Amino acid sequence: MSKHILEVLVENSPGVLARVAGLFSRRAYNIDALTVGPTKDPAISKMQIDVDVEGHALEQVISQLDKLINVISIKEILPTNVKPASTDTQPDYQN
Amino acid sequence: MNGATSLVKSLEAAGVDVMFGIPGGAILPAYDPIFDSKIRHILVRHEQGAGHAATGYAQVSGRAGVCIATSGPGATNLVTPLADAAMDSVPLVAITGQVPSAAIGTDAFQEADIRGITMPFTKHNYLITDPAEIPRAIAEAFHIATTGRPGPVLVDIAKDALQKQTFFNWPASVSLKGYQPTVQPNAQSISDAAALITQSHRPVFYVGGGIMKANASKELREIAELLGAPVVTTLMALGSFPHSHPLHMGMPGMHGSVAAVTTLQKADLLITLGARFDDRVTGKLSTFAVNAKVIHCDIDPAEIGKNRFADVPVIGDLKHTLIALIPALKAALAKDRPDLSTWLRQVNNLKSTYPLGYDKPSDGSTSPQYVIERIGKLSAPDSIYVAGVGQHQMWAAQFVPYELPRTWLNSGGLGTMGYSVPAAMGAKVAAPDTTVWSIDGDGCFQMTNQELVTCALNNIPIKVAIINNESLGMVRQWQTLFYEGRYSNTNLESKRVPDFPKLADAMGCVGLSCDRPEDVDKTIEKALSINDQPVVVDFRVHRDAMVWPMVAAGTSNDDIMIAREMAPDWDSQEL
Repeated sequence: MSKHILEVLVENSPGVLARVAGLFSRRAYNIDALTVGPTKDPAISKMQIDVDVEGHALEQVISQLDKLINVISIKEILPTNVKPASTDTQPDYQN
Repeated sequence: MNGATSLVKSLEAAGVDVMFGIPGGAILPAYDPIFDSKIRHILVRHEQGAGHAATGYAQVSGRAGVCIATSGPGATNLVTPLADAAMDSVPLVAITGQVPSAAIGTDAFQEADIRGITMPFTKHNYLITDPAEIPRAIAEAFHIATTGRPGPVLVDIAKDALQKQTFFNWPASVSLKGYQPTVQPNAQSISDAAALITQSHRPVFYVGGGIMKANASKELREIAELLGAPVVTTLMALGSFPHSHPLHMGMPGMHGSVAAVTTLQKADLLITLGARFDDRVTGKLSTFAVNAKVIHCDIDPAEIGKNRFADVPVIGDLKHTLIALIPALKAALAKDRPDLSTWLRQVNNLKSTYPLGYDKPSDGSTSPQYVIERIGKLSAPDSIYVAGVGQHQMWAAQFVPYELPRTWLNSGGLGTMGYSVPAAMGAKVAAPDTTVWSIDGDGCFQMTNQELVTCALNNIPIKVAIINNESLGMVRQWQTLFYEGRYSNTNLESKRVPDFPKLADAMGCVGLSCDRPEDVDKTIEKALSINDQPVVVDFRVHRDAMVWPMVAAGTSNDDIMIAREMAPDWDSQEL
């Protein structure tokens, strides 16, 4: 297993935290840490989610998160000396 | 106007022509304007019936099905159909009333957190407490339910939001920051797919329910004939490719044909179209089609690599994908056409050696497969068949020859017993001039048959064939095979109680009964001749018939059995 940090922009709407937490729970992904905070735009919140998964499972976490309608964007935060993990295992044809 | 009128105007603006539901306290304000609306509201007898009827309507029409219920128990009764629709990607919009906003969270009478309950199996859901938000929420709900990978959307509306005064303001367009499904496939992925196909000597089209959602049957046939490769259609895709077509190898999976299962197992390339590598198709995943590369075409990026690595993923609407892939493949084949003749000979040999079949019971009683086969033969070619879940479902998948898309409905993913009667009701509402058969089991029928009252009162003349083996037949089959014949709680005694024809009669339907194989044809003819009332036929069949072939749960597709303790004779096959 390896640690990954996801920065997730979500709509600031009721229930959005439950949607994200519920997704992790029902798909059996582990969350190491989760923080939620405001952004400059009051309609958008920022979540930082630390997950402990392998490369392939990470892609699934990101794809499943992206299916939540209230999730606007997902970005993996990488240590400066590491190249992206999400491009190793699968060609990305998702424009 | 009030929020309730705004809701009904929103549903009208969304193009709804029919909805299925039951009123109750919290949704009551909405039922007043419904009374005056041009939308046909069908008053069901149980909210689960409303949900499955909306699903049946959606599966036949290709449009969103709509169901409506009150708060608390009304809403929780929709849980099963919503979960069912999520698993089978059915576009559904469910409207529920909620207790007044000030009472939310106080354990008020008939309060249930239906938004929280349905989060895992709705594509999205809403809780509306401000009447001004109603039109936008309804517009978004229909947009989300019907685009991308279709699915159910629930809109829960607090009673006071329905009662308060508001303005109706239908949005000209819907734009959601976090929801922009990819429709048009990436050009590079199309050319990669075409190139991989020309390198393959044992390709197979592995076709799932997505082909139906994309309305891409015509394109499927075109690409299959262009390449001349075998096609297998999953339980959710039956009818998308004609069963009579020489390239059709049948249905793969736990009860698939030997030809379909083995074609997948021995392929060197799976051209996967709107299928999701479900465990009922793959068997033990690590042994599934081990030598095959995978082209995975799907509108849902999360399906790529979920169960099986995709060498070439193609994200997009299947119709657009095939329209792009056909010319690309044509060009690639013009330069380099692989010889598939050996492969076709091998799979055709399997198809002719191991056709689907069944034994006639030695005691002269009726075999269930025979009943279903005869219904398929005697009914018009465009007839629609709606199954419940269990043995009868598998036999209906195996022995009715599906030639057209949207003529086969069943609960594939969730496996919902009780789906058939209400879903058939919804199907008949969508296609009133088409014969609709509910092929049901005696167990399933006893879960949701109350909707026959709805059918009788609303001129929805479906036909129900109860395949009565007086058992929870599929469970009994597993008890026979894996539990030493210890039939714990699978004997329903449905040949004694209830009296199905009398029950049908009491619900305003015509009740028929058939006990002997020689009466099967004339009973079906009689049922087909009655079109002004629902008909229920109690086909009393042999209880020990089993569904074959079978890949036992958790085992490899290589271990497919054609009958008890009988594997295909692999030594006589070239594969």
